[in-house]
Amino acid sequence: MNEDLMDILCCPLDKHELELAVESRDDDEILTGTLTCPECGEVYPIEDGIPNMLPPDMREEAPA
Amino acid sequence: MTDERGSGRRGEIQSVYDEIAGHFSETRAYPWPEVEEFLASATGDLGLDLGCGNGRHTALLTEVTKTAVGVDVSRGLLGEAQTKMHDDDWTGALVQGDAAAIPLASGSVDVAVYVATLHHLPDRESRLESLRELDRVLAPDGRALVSTWSTAHDRFEAPADAETGFETTVDWTLPDGETVPRFYYIYAPTEFERDLDESGLAVTDSYVSSGNCYAELR
Repeated sequence: MNEDLMDILCCPLDKHELELAVESRDDDEILTGTLTCPECGEVYPIEDGIPNMLPPDMREEAPA
Repeated sequence: MTDERGSGRRGEIQSVYDEIAGHFSETRAYPWPEVEEFLASATGDLGLDLGCGNGRHTALLTEVTKTAVGVDVSRGLLGEAQTKMHDDDWTGALVQGDAAAIPLASGSVDVAVYVATLHHLPDRESRLESLRELDRVLAPDGRALVSTWSTAHDRFEAPADAETGFETTVDWTLPDGETVPRFYYIYAPTEFERDLDESGLAVTDSYVSSGNCYAELR
């Protein structure tokens, strides 16, 4: 994901702005990292350049 | 499992699309003409494709908005969108998210398309919540196109003037013959409009096309 996306991304639960921590990047593209909501403390992972903003109860794959 | 938000059942459609993502994407190569027509007169800074699947409509959004964001619950489908983006040479942002808990700032979206996705949400409360969320993220002069499968589709035997829709399961058949059931809520057109009204969205136009109900909203 591009860092500019931080302007519009928010916590899906309380809609608060998020704090970005970058683990790896390729030029402007953030490949891995985390987005943390300072309001509720939830941490959303960025993997393969895609932030996973699913609410925590949907983040684990549902049993088949 | 606690399931106050109905999100456990929304997780089911997530794993279904993760499983069928590759094959599903092959069959979804082209944008819908209704979406092309809507986007022909749309413009703005931020575009949202909610339930973007393999990104076929996100690609169109990149042509009319400065930034286009594709949101989908299925990581498998987002992987397909990522591949398509590289192959077809367009640049959009992809975000994994729930259509009933949109991870975007209020009032940020100028143009939204939300097609063929609402009908996968498993209960009325989550469908309404999703429409309220769409209303929340739309900018004051933002515009949205929402579509859902409807009772008017040929494959259903519901009467044309049905007041309410119904829940059903539609199998997806993989190339090896395995079938994967997908949940749908089939809307009656009048019921679709009622839910839109209740969500706070203002309907500027609505119509039925190819068995789907469509609404243009502000």
